[in-house]
Amino acid sequence: MKLAIDERRCKGCNLCTQVCPYHIFRPGTAANRKGVLVPELDRPERCTNCRLRNLYGRTLCGVCQLTCPDQAIHWQSERPYEPVRIEVEY
Amino acid sequence: MSFEDWLRADRLPHIWCSGCSNGTILNCTMAAVDMMDWDPDRTVVVSGIGCSSRAAGYVEADSLHTTHGRALAFATGVKLAEPSLNVVVFTGDGDLAAIGGNHFIHACRRNIDLTVVCMNNLIYGMTGGQGSPTTPLGALSTTTPYGAAEPAFDLAALAVAAGANYVARWTSYHVRELEKAVKAGLETPGLSFIEVRAGCPTNYGRKNRIREATDQLEQFRTRSMLKVKYDRLVAEGKPVPHDAIVVGEFVRRSNPAMGVAP
Repeated sequence: MKLAIDERRCKGCNLCTQVCPYHIFRPGTAANRKGVLVPELDRPERCTNCRLRNLYGRTLCGVCQLTCPDQAIHWQSERPYEPVRIEVEY
Repeated sequence: MSFEDWLRADRLPHIWCSGCSNGTILNCTMAAVDMMDWDPDRTVVVSGIGCSSRAAGYVEADSLHTTHGRALAFATGVKLAEPSLNVVVFTGDGDLAAIGGNHFIHACRRNIDLTVVCMNNLIYGMTGGQGSPTTPLGALSTTTPYGAAEPAFDLAALAVAAGANYVARWTSYHVRELEKAVKAGLETPGLSFIEVRAGCPTNYGRKNRIREATDQLEQFRTRSMLKVKYDRLVAEGKPVPHDAIVVGEFVRRSNPAMGVAP
């Protein structure tokens, strides 16, 4: 799973920066098209829900999603890792 | 399913200000409704007038946006006409305690099978920050520029005294606890009242030195005190901080309820 912020919904209140136990969210610095400072993700692969949701089959933690007043935080499913064979021509 | 499936995606983003706690409370309530496995066609969300009452319009269920203060009156009608419906009421402090105060105490007295979620932001947010019956003593607002002179309403205590079957109070910081409290309220037959302290950075925080939504959340975190601890301090005669927000479950009882589907 991958953590993502929906820039169309985020209003830049920075509540997520305060509630995440891993401090994954950092206050944004650059304004987007709407002039909102959308928080940045700091190494989002540390998120518990991203790592273990499929293993446990339920939402773990998930406090940022519940706290976000604008429903902007969600998790995207990723394709499972597939080894890729690369042939290098000499 | 998650709570996002209960929200009308075409209506989002909502109109609430940046940092408004109403969105958090809507998330928690719909997460609790989602855990109940209710049919959206048999669920009715009723609300009155105010910032908080916009919530009904964002829920993918039958919703009723009613007149000011009369959310509980309309919900009573819905529930008594068709007891098999599941009725959730979103209301604000001005809606519930000021103009709808009489409906509130009588809905508690009749113990109708409703779940009432009160987003208590201590002020009239939508109309420009006028003082409401829950504005704490000394707080600044548009109509109390020298500080509120009257003591505030304790809504949870009022609901307990009026006879509600389940009463709890949480803040918008306690999202998981709030979710569990709303779920317990939905499961309880009879009127369940969940008061949620919400932050209003635009109209309340701006005048009371909590301008940032994060400061408001930090204040909820540091000032909240569990009811068991509060009761213990009172029993031991120890001082209680005057600005403590007593959170937790106030009452859970099984008095006879009206409007329960047979």
